Amino acid sequence: MQAARNPAAPLRHLDLTLVLSTVGIAAIGVLMVYSSTRQKQGTAGLDPAFYLKRQALYVVLGVLAMTVVAVVDYRHIRDFVPILYTGAALTLLLVISPIGTSSRGTQAWFQIGSFQFQPSEVSKVALVLALAAVCAGARGSLDTPGLLVALGVAFVPMALILVQPDLGTSMVFAAVVIAVLLVAGARPRHIAVLSLLGVTAIVLVVQLGMLKDFQRDRLTAFLDPQSDTQRSSYNLRQSQIAIAAGGVAGRGLFQGTQTNLSFVPEQHTDFIFTAVGEELGFVGGVSLLGFFGLMVWRIWRAAVLARDQFGRLVCVGVLAMLVFQIFENVGMTMGITPITGIPLPFMSYGGSAMITSFMGMGLVLNVHMRRFS
Amino acid sequence: MTQDSSRLRLGVLGMVVLSLFCALLARLWYLQVLAAPTFKVEAQHNSVAVVYTEAPRGRILDRNGKVLADNRVVLALVAHRDEVAKKPEVLDRLSGLLGVPVDEINRRIADERYTLFKPVPVAVDVPKDTLIYVREHQVDFPGIEGLQLTERVYPNGTLAAQVLGTVGEINDDELAPRKAQGYKAGDTIGKSGIELTYESELRGQPEIAKLEVDSVGRVQRSLGLQPAVQGNDIRLSIDIDIQRVAEESLEQGLTLARKSTDFLTGKVFTAPGGTVVVTDPRDGSVLAMASNPTFDPNEFTNGISVKRFAQLNDPAGHYPLNNRAIQGLYAPGSTFKLATSVAALKAGMIAPRDTYNDLGSYTVTGDERSSTFTNARGARNGLVNVTKALTVSSDVFFYWLGERFWDGRAKYGTAAIQDVARSLGMGDYTDIDLPFESNGRVADPAGREKLHKDYPEAFPYPEWYTGDNLNIAVGQGDTAITPLQLANSYATFINGGTVYAPRVASAVLNHQGQEIRKIDPKVVRRTDLPAGVRDPILAGFRGVVSDPLGTGFNAFAGFPLGAFPVAGKTGTAEVAGKQDTSLFTAYAPADAPRYVVTAVLEESGLGASAAAPVVRRVLEAIAVKEGIATAPPGAVVRVDGHD
Repeated sequence: MQAARNPAAPLRHLDLTLVLSTVGIAAIGVLMVYSSTRQKQGTAGLDPAFYLKRQALYVVLGVLAMTVVAVVDYRHIRDFVPILYTGAALTLLLVISPIGTSSRGTQAWFQIGSFQFQPSEVSKVALVLALAAVCAGARGSLDTPGLLVALGVAFVPMALILVQPDLGTSMVFAAVVIAVLLVAGARPRHIAVLSLLGVTAIVLVVQLGMLKDFQRDRLTAFLDPQSDTQRSSYNLRQSQIAIAAGGVAGRGLFQGTQTNLSFVPEQHTDFIFTAVGEELGFVGGVSLLGFFGLMVWRIWRAAVLARDQFGRLVCVGVLAMLVFQIFENVGMTMGITPITGIPLPFMSYGGSAMITSFMGMGLVLNVHMRRFS
Repeated sequence: MTQDSSRLRLGVLGMVVLSLFCALLARLWYLQVLAAPTFKVEAQHNSVAVVYTEAPRGRILDRNGKVLADNRVVLALVAHRDEVAKKPEVLDRLSGLLGVPVDEINRRIADERYTLFKPVPVAVDVPKDTLIYVREHQVDFPGIEGLQLTERVYPNGTLAAQVLGTVGEINDDELAPRKAQGYKAGDTIGKSGIELTYESELRGQPEIAKLEVDSVGRVQRSLGLQPAVQGNDIRLSIDIDIQRVAEESLEQGLTLARKSTDFLTGKVFTAPGGTVVVTDPRDGSVLAMASNPTFDPNEFTNGISVKRFAQLNDPAGHYPLNNRAIQGLYAPGSTFKLATSVAALKAGMIAPRDTYNDLGSYTVTGDERSSTFTNARGARNGLVNVTKALTVSSDVFFYWLGERFWDGRAKYGTAAIQDVARSLGMGDYTDIDLPFESNGRVADPAGREKLHKDYPEAFPYPEWYTGDNLNIAVGQGDTAITPLQLANSYATFINGGTVYAPRVASAVLNHQGQEIRKIDPKVVRRTDLPAGVRDPILAGFRGVVSDPLGTGFNAFAGFPLGAFPVAGKTGTAEVAGKQDTSLFTAYAPADAPRYVVTAVLEESGLGASAAAPVVRRVLEAIAVKEGIATAPPGAVVRVDGHD
């Protein structure tokens, strides 16, 4: 009732377009996860709707998390940033201790009952908040000491994630850092140097053998997709076959042979876009990217309209996080970016990533609806 | 200022984001619109597996529909590889049940002839109890299934083995040219005999199942099934009863020869093998074709062992796989006098009444030395015309003709006798519907020269001498023909000059027994045989059996010649380093022949002694079949004689 009378009341400025595009993408995601798992599950004599139910649950949890994050004024959240940041860093430390569990050479999870929790996902949000908080003080012109502090803040979680090792998430962090520093007013020269450093670091990590063999193979497979169909480039090959086989109109929902017959490994997680590509075709793919574009535009708009620098940088951080993941993930399924284990936001099967993305969205909504209050 | 700077920087960020999205859209456009057609094919190949299952082969029937080659249903246990792989302990249980080591079962499962999508036979021809046990304890045998398979079976064992032929797994050489016809590795194919000649009819069409499979090869569902079409049946002109009598008689004749002493060497005859052919001179159809030694084609059905195959090809076993009727090459001996007689009468060199005084030997006065040629056993036949000369088998009479042909070669040509022999069907492929036929040769001056050029050691002389023409006149020398060619040339003579390509198969039937098409007799050519030429020769052949001086008279003692007149010609061919080949070719009824029966027994002595009694027994059985005689044929007896 109060909202109706107060023109600045946050709820009046809730960006419904952003909410709807996000939930819409998540709904498509649930459907595609089902499509890419139902036949495999059925063949194995398991519940074909298992992943459908789980993913739907994650979306519900995500929407709840988004709501919670959006409700608390972001300026209050700012006060808790040090605690959130420290908490995230400690959790990352814990996960590489024997308490964490590993899968395929990467130690990145806590096993809780039948669910797995991936702290590196949630730490993305903590990093966005911490970076925004540190840089917001610079009031639009980030000097060298400020830059170093910001880099220091980013360094700790990034290093901990690289130890797992999880190059993909580290790359998301790097993208977030560069985007936030750019908008925070870092000098173009610094941005250039940082980008160069980032690329060098990735090359070094790959070259110095910090990665497991399978990770390196996957990363470099896109450079020569015909090289070795038995191993990593098999993923890539099958993934591109699936997308291309969809053609303009797609083969129809649940009709994709590549999808139904599990020719694309990890399809319901990292390669979920191939299911869209094969079954919904170019029309579906473009529509999905259109939804993502709409979502990203609304985030960018929230950044532009933000009332203060902290809010703006939070939006930029979330934007960078999501855009980098979208580009990297969709790009890898089509063979234009390296294969890294980065999920497609709101689409890939998995709870931690889903909740994290929704939390990020909550922050953006938070900033946007409080631009007059 | 700050605000503007911030806006500018957000603008830069926005441009970067926009360009990233554009990159994704461009790539998506490329893959799904430009490159989609090629990728679609690849996706198709990914997910569809085609499984072929061979159809049961068509049957082979005798002329009266009696089954000579059939399919047998055998019980088999098959393993679904993916399921068995999950539960390897199943194999231990199976091993115990079958009494076969686990390693052996694993080896069978690994058989690459079976695609991943097709269960592999792990035990074929298992007892019914075993199959029932597995079905009752299916829980203990996941992935193991009982099936009925069909396999080739020859219910009469060795009967007509070389004619029917064998089947076996297709080899690489056979597969390469047949891939377009849908053959696959592991398929069964006819390897010899009728099985090979009529492979395309007998094979049928395989069942083709299109299956959708996932990335690890598990079958998801069937995309369509084209059911198998059983192969067509082939009806032969072979009469199973005559075939059986021919084989028995041949076996008896050879066994008897092995107990008889060769007066030339003083040793028993080795009689390693022989053949009997029965044809119908009116159309060239084959009623029986026996070849001894023989084998059991059933041994080949599930793949013959290397050891057994080597045994069958061991020279010591005298090559039982060979069909001697069409692959064996023999000097025709006196049976060749048919050609010499026709040549002389046709050329007008002699009249039927012209005689020559056979004093037992014939001397050729050559340029440098003289040679004397004698009758077998030095017989003296006195004054003989062509008819009498054939009946008593006077070599001297034919030496006389041989020399006259050579001396008059300016008029008759250098190969007058040989040309007639060829026109009747000797020395060339008969074009029978059986594989691996030999062509043989009728020796002549041109051929001698060529042989000398090609094989100077085996044939040291390029020239053709008068003596050679004497030899060819009585069927000796380098001439070598198949027993079928001999039978066919007599058939040609008897029927008035039509050379047929002999046929073993007479019709193609569908498996309901309806005739799809006839295999018509094929006329190769016609040769002119006026009555003036034929009659004196026919009379000579009748005398062979019915004249007390005839070379075949003793062999046909007691035969109902009145009711079933027989005529024929004996032959005894000398082979360097070997005992004589015994030949006899006969036809009946002599006035309107429907049967030509030819027997050739290797290293068995005189044609009159070994081959004629075998032919007699076959004709006795035919007479019984025709309702002319009632007494079943007795055992073959060896008779004394001359030739």
